[in-house]
Amino acid sequence: MHCARPLHSHSEADMSIVQVEGLRKVFGQGELAVEALREVSFSVEPGELMALLGPSGSGKSTLLLCISLIQEPSSGRITMNGRKIYDNGWTGIDVRRFRRENIGFIFQAHNLIPFLNARDNIAIAMEINGVHWKAARKRALELLDYLDLSNRSSALPAILSGGEQQRVAIGRALANSPSIIFADEPTASLDTVRGTKVMELLKRIAREQQTAVITVTHDIRMIEGFDTIYHIVDGRLVVDDAVAESTTA
Amino acid sequence: MDLAIKDVQRHVGKFIATIIGVGLLMSIVLIMNGIYQGNTSDGVWLIDNTATDLWVVENGRGGPFNEQSRIAEESWRSVAAISGVAKASPFISYTVQRRVAMREQQFAIIGYDVFGGLGGPGRIVAGRPIAQAHYEAVADMKLGLRLGDTLHLGVHDYTVVGLTRKAVDAGGNPLLYLSLHDAQEVLYDQDNRARERSRSAETERLIRSGYSSAETQRLLPLLSDGSGTVNAVLVKLRPGASIPRVAADIERWLYLSVYTSRQERNLMLEGRLRKMAAILGLFRALLVIVSLVIIALLIYVLTVEKIKAIATLKLIGASNGIIVRLILEQSIVLTVSSFLFAWVVVQLTYDHFPRTLVLLPHETLASFVVFFIGGMASSLVGIVHALRTPPSLALGG
Ligand SMILES: Nc1ncnc2c1ncn2[C@@H]1O[C@H](COP(=O)(O)OP(=O)(O)OP(=O)(O)O)[C@@H](O)[C@H]1O
Ligand SMILES: [Mg+2]
Repeated sequence: MHCARPLHSHSEADMSIVQVEGLRKVFGQGELAVEALREVSFSVEPGELMALLGPSGSGKSTLLLCISLIQEPSSGRITMNGRKIYDNGWTGIDVRRFRRENIGFIFQAHNLIPFLNARDNIAIAMEINGVHWKAARKRALELLDYLDLSNRSSALPAILSGGEQQRVAIGRALANSPSIIFADEPTASLDTVRGTKVMELLKRIAREQQTAVITVTHDIRMIEGFDTIYHIVDGRLVVDDAVAESTTA
Repeated sequence: MDLAIKDVQRHVGKFIATIIGVGLLMSIVLIMNGIYQGNTSDGVWLIDNTATDLWVVENGRGGPFNEQSRIAEESWRSVAAISGVAKASPFISYTVQRRVAMREQQFAIIGYDVFGGLGGPGRIVAGRPIAQAHYEAVADMKLGLRLGDTLHLGVHDYTVVGLTRKAVDAGGNPLLYLSLHDAQEVLYDQDNRARERSRSAETERLIRSGYSSAETQRLLPLLSDGSGTVNAVLVKLRPGASIPRVAADIERWLYLSVYTSRQERNLMLEGRLRKMAAILGLFRALLVIVSLVIIALLIYVLTVEKIKAIATLKLIGASNGIIVRLILEQSIVLTVSSFLFAWVVVQLTYDHFPRTLVLLPHETLASFVVFFIGGMASSLVGIVHALRTPPSLALGG
């Protein structure tokens, strides 16, 4: 098993939208320390579709949380949109602001705000980002339309089905036209048909809006047509063929 | 868009129920304030509303309200003879429980010299003052009597000729004004039969002691227990007369105790009213503390309930300002509307309350400020909790 090399050489680095170098994350201390990420390096280009596969506990969520600036890494470097964000410590930029302007998330537990209806759940993400409420609601409706959900716009999350909630969460992730979308098992709670639909949607967004999409999944059938597929084993990134090698070896 | 309002909209019923609950609690605090102040204001109402300069009472007694006081009715004449006294009148006051206006009621009978004497009803809201020597009464409205009604006391019927409003004795009981001699009669002759019984007992005793029946008839009135006593003599001074001088003269020459209205008031405040005020004050303080704890808990729970939504808001990049506003707005709405509800409840019930409630605006305001600060303090705790919550909390489960 060998570690994955960055896909792009240094001359091409300015092309990439996300660049991660030597990222480490250790939970706990001393004997109880868990090394969730060990020297992870990779980069992603605009519009690139990247999938992360790996067994439970291998560090997929941790990686996503670190690069979406929700969890602080232990060491390494993260550069996004050409800005150094983490260099063995936060570089001092307003992380929450950077997140709402550049990053969209879709999480496994959809995490909609329970007291806002579908439309407002999307619009709030825009309002937080400085869009006027009326304009935000208008664009939210367009997004719901795009997601085939316009008839559910005034429904509260509690009465939406899992798939519908997932699509609202996608709508919210798209709301501020982010340059990067992170998705942690976005299809896990969906049946194959709906899951495939959600994946098709992510692919379409990547193609149409040049948004980089990094998604974690368990389901290998969902990642057809992805540009890059990484495996994580014990906190280390392994390219697809390397896994094949290591399993046959 | 207002997140606080959206959140409330989702469970309006629960929010309103909370407001009603907290509001009722606050209204109890406001009522307690009213009872506390009412206790003192009732306690000194009669003193404050009797137009007199001096209260002359039995020697060594803090009467006539804080302590019993009995003096000879005729002593008013001696008081009137002291230099500097413009007018002196006999005054009697006692509490009875009788059937009036179809129900058993406690009230205080005030007897005074109806022909220009001091101590009569200050402000009559309907009808007129007593104009006859007998069988007329001025009643407080709380007794439920109307003008022209008659009431039976002792052996006679009395006609209500005038009404007062909120005239009470120190215990908060409504007042019934009678002429001095009517009041004495009601006080000493409970009813015909009791009077007959005591009279025949006295007659028997006298005859057994060897008096003839003619002598007995002559002696009987002298034995009847002193309808010639009053509780106090009220004094109005001549312009320019020195209060301490006149008081000292009365005390020295007539061997009576004298109090100014202010002293009379202090006797009550430091005597009869003090223990009650202490108890009510303690209750008031406990109630405020209990209400504050409940409000604090409710507001904190309101925040904790939303902690996952707050983590999600952080996740999508919401600034701390948005989160602080969400929490603060709700606690402000909760405390302010609960207080408004409490205020309305108190306004609606206040007149039907069995005791006088005195709601002082500054106390109501102070209660509001205490509740508001309490609410803000607990939302501050909620805010600290919310701001410390890592956004990744939204991801768990
Ligand atoms: N907050 C934490 N504190 C301590 N250890 C943690 C924490 N979060 C994750 N870990 C540990 O880090 C390792 C990687 O966890 P992670 O959640 O990234 O796995 P995963 O690949 O997403 O697994 P799954 O497929 O089950 O979601 C695990 O051993 C986990 O126990
Ligand atoms: Mg995971």
